[in-house]
Amino acid sequence: MSGGAGPTPKPAPKPVDPNAKAGGGGHAGEIKTGVDLVPHARVQGDAVVVAVRGEIDLHNSPELRGVLLELLAKHSPKRLVLNLAQVPYMDSSAIAVLVESLQRIRKGGGRIFLSDLQPRVKGLLEIARLDTIFIVSKDEADALARP
Amino acid sequence: MVTAVKRANSELGCGRLEMRLTSDPANIAAVRHAVEELCERKAGLDEKSTADVGLCVNEALANVMRHAYDGALNKPIVVTAECQEGGIVVTIRDWGNGVNPESLPEKPFNPLEPGGLGLICLRRMLTEVSFVPQPDGMLLIMKKAKAPAKPAGDKRPKPERP
Repeated sequence: MSGGAGPTPKPAPKPVDPNAKAGGGGHAGEIKTGVDLVPHARVQGDAVVVAVRGEIDLHNSPELRGVLLELLAKHSPKRLVLNLAQVPYMDSSAIAVLVESLQRIRKGGGRIFLSDLQPRVKGLLEIARLDTIFIVSKDEADALARP
Repeated sequence: MVTAVKRANSELGCGRLEMRLTSDPANIAAVRHAVEELCERKAGLDEKSTADVGLCVNEALANVMRHAYDGALNKPIVVTAECQEGGIVVTIRDWGNGVNPESLPEKPFNPLEPGGLGLICLRRMLTEVSFVPQPDGMLLIMKKAKAPAKPAGDKRPKPERP
């Protein structure tokens, strides 16, 4: 079979280490997730900024769910910024993870910002009528600067 | 895993795919990519239509895995994709519980409640969707027509402004 590489089988998500700093050159507040799907995460002020990478479907969305819910539980951020620049594709199972994360952060008065959306992801959010429920930002800086 | 993939060219020079896979979500991406490739290279669908078909294949397979097979990972699924005049037809056959999603009571879609989005994608993005109950499962037939060709530029002279 040809076609691009899709999500590869992943082990169960490793627990997020909120105190671990990245190796050489890492920023203070950087969080190691140990998960390829989330290559970078950091605490910045009252925000947690998470970079997500790869196509997300039913196979690996549980892994994303594990990481996001753990970050929310440990840091109780007022804003969760998800940088989706490296997410060319997601399905409804990934949308369900975003919605569950939103429900969770709202309990503490927080909000979710989605930045750097690619066209397919943006289109699915519109169909799901979530493009006005999440706060869509053009990039991380915009998400962090918003009141 | 995807256990067999057969490809054959029809007399019309149009591609056909048949994929036999198990109901493991790890297989979804490979099937989606293969169907998208057929849409793009053989069926002549544009980028948007190809993406629509890919997402619908993903959502339909996920529904089979989660609902028809209740999360079991080793049940059989057969996917075919075939170019037809003016578009593509994708079928998904399962041997699951045979529940027809279209027979379930329709509840108003709430974006903040899980479930239902996959079926909405199928209804909105495809030209035609039909669930055909089988004695031992379900056959889903999905059709997507090519987007109509854009009309050539209007060469009529524009009226002069007063």
